[in-house]
Amino acid sequence: MSYAIETFNLTKNYGNGRGCHDVTLRILAGEAFGFLGPNGAGKSTIVKMLIGLTTPTDGKALLFGQPAGSVEARRRIGYLPELFRYPGWLSGEEAMQFHAQLCGMKGTEMKRRINQLLDEVGIGKRGRDRIKGYSKGMQQRLGLACALLTDPDIVFLDEPASALDPVGRYEVRELLQRLRKEGKTIFLNSHLLEDVEQLCDHVALLNNGRILADGRVSDVLRASASRWRFRVGGMTPELLDWLRETMIIPVDIVPWEDGDTPAWGEHWLEAELAEDEQAGYFNRLLMEQGLALYETQKVKSSLDEWFLQAVSGLEHRGENR
Amino acid sequence: MIAVWMLTWKELIRKKVTLMTLLLTILFWIAFYFIAQSAGASVSQYDSGIISLDNLLDRFRGSAILLWIGFFFASFATGFLAIFSSVAAITGEAEHGVLQSVFARPIKRTHWYMGRWFGFVTFCLAYALILFVSILIIVTYATGVHPDWSAIGPALALFISPVLLMVTLTMLASCWLAPLGNGVAMVLLFGMGWLGTMLDRVIAAGMFTANESTKTSDTMEVVSGLIRLLIPTDALQQRMLSELYQVKHLGQTFSSRDALGYFSIVNPPSDAFLYYTAVYFLIFLIAGLFVIRRKDF
Repeated sequence: MSYAIETFNLTKNYGNGRGCHDVTLRILAGEAFGFLGPNGAGKSTIVKMLIGLTTPTDGKALLFGQPAGSVEARRRIGYLPELFRYPGWLSGEEAMQFHAQLCGMKGTEMKRRINQLLDEVGIGKRGRDRIKGYSKGMQQRLGLACALLTDPDIVFLDEPASALDPVGRYEVRELLQRLRKEGKTIFLNSHLLEDVEQLCDHVALLNNGRILADGRVSDVLRASASRWRFRVGGMTPELLDWLRETMIIPVDIVPWEDGDTPAWGEHWLEAELAEDEQAGYFNRLLMEQGLALYETQKVKSSLDEWFLQAVSGLEHRGENR
Repeated sequence: MIAVWMLTWKELIRKKVTLMTLLLTILFWIAFYFIAQSAGASVSQYDSGIISLDNLLDRFRGSAILLWIGFFFASFATGFLAIFSSVAAITGEAEHGVLQSVFARPIKRTHWYMGRWFGFVTFCLAYALILFVSILIIVTYATGVHPDWSAIGPALALFISPVLLMVTLTMLASCWLAPLGNGVAMVLLFGMGWLGTMLDRVIAAGMFTANESTKTSDTMEVVSGLIRLLIPTDALQQRMLSELYQVKHLGQTFSSRDALGYFSIVNPPSDAFLYYTAVYFLIFLIAGLFVIRRKDF
């Protein structure tokens, strides 16, 4: 299996402590890769080096075996930058035509592709309007359409759903799922870990410019065991001890948040279960002990938890540092 | 490169740069026409049908002053258009993330840079050509005196060369400076060119000829020379006017300094200075290409 993206000790030193150091990544062709990290971790710097917008201080990066930033490598990529704004005096169609011409597209094939993509991202006929009249979400959709113009092998997306409403997010997620099925390599920079979890096969976590963790999403999620929460009434310390002994698993009481006013004996219990089926058994045990069971829920987005656990307690150079 | 060039024209048209420039130019044409016509009438009212040398010189003097005024406006109009059209070429677009998406495309950055450069330069040159021709037509029509036709070609080349310089310098500076800072810096630099000519004019007027003022005069000459080397735009304008004023048939009978007073041509630069300007231009154009190739975005 060939690698779509390979970096070897990729380093960018801006001289102010920012940048990234010795980043080594291998992303398989056709893989959806999620790049995670707190703000200021250096994610965008790495993406820019892969695109060729920034020159590495040290190390190297290859895209399908071609040096990152070379014209040959750029022929195979699509890129949606973060916080971009296309010129308001152009129409969506014109902006896409310009990008298509830069890629050597022309004639009816170019027009057909532009119309197809404008429809796919939900802009449609409004592509003829000037961009200055577009909402942030529409601009984001246009950026996505532009990134996909050449039917690229690798798509770099920097926060693709950041300005979208829930419907837009869903549509983008669907579009990315389709690209993944088509065998495209997706490099996704996103703070929406739910999206990363649903789309990506492979994630890496960057902090202070260094890779903290790198692995397959399924492995990451397996490592952080499935956790469930149960809201119960009438809980006593004795009953809690009994539950722990019976289930032979850690069961904890989750502290109430400020402002919550629980009834007497009402608690959230949290248990790490090896399988989801154990949740039913746990429910039955609670009720057999005469406890009131108000609510049962699975702790969602394990990637969120994994992310928080991985960076908690670590120094990181966020925007407020 | 052609796509970038065409997009630059579209930008200048859609951002109403063309519209505003044309509107202000029409106002200038109207005002200049009336000034030229009244100046032409005052010269011709002494005309008794026989054209004497004095009368011819009077007409020529009137024409030269009108050309000076017209090209003074044309100089700053084309200079400012060159500066403000290209002021946001790099950092302005990078701030909006536009450049990042463009440079991710399989094109050479130098091609993009040259596409933008050609776009700005051709737009400003088209405007400069219109101004140049219109000023000559108005002055010729109003005064009945036309410049030396053989000098038109070199004069036009000299008139448009500041446009090339200002677009080149502004684009290079926009690799580092934000649009506002770049605009201020370039206007100051362009204005400095005028200051150099102003110093030359003061020296030429003989205001510092007394013995005790010789030092002042020398210092001003050095400063003026340095300014011309730093920004040759106004020196080129002086050379252009000197080309237009040179009427070989008049020989020594017409001295611009004596006849034109404040509107005289001072210290028009030599051919060596023109070669210097060509090298200056090439260095900054190549520097721009070098910087854009290596710049991080």
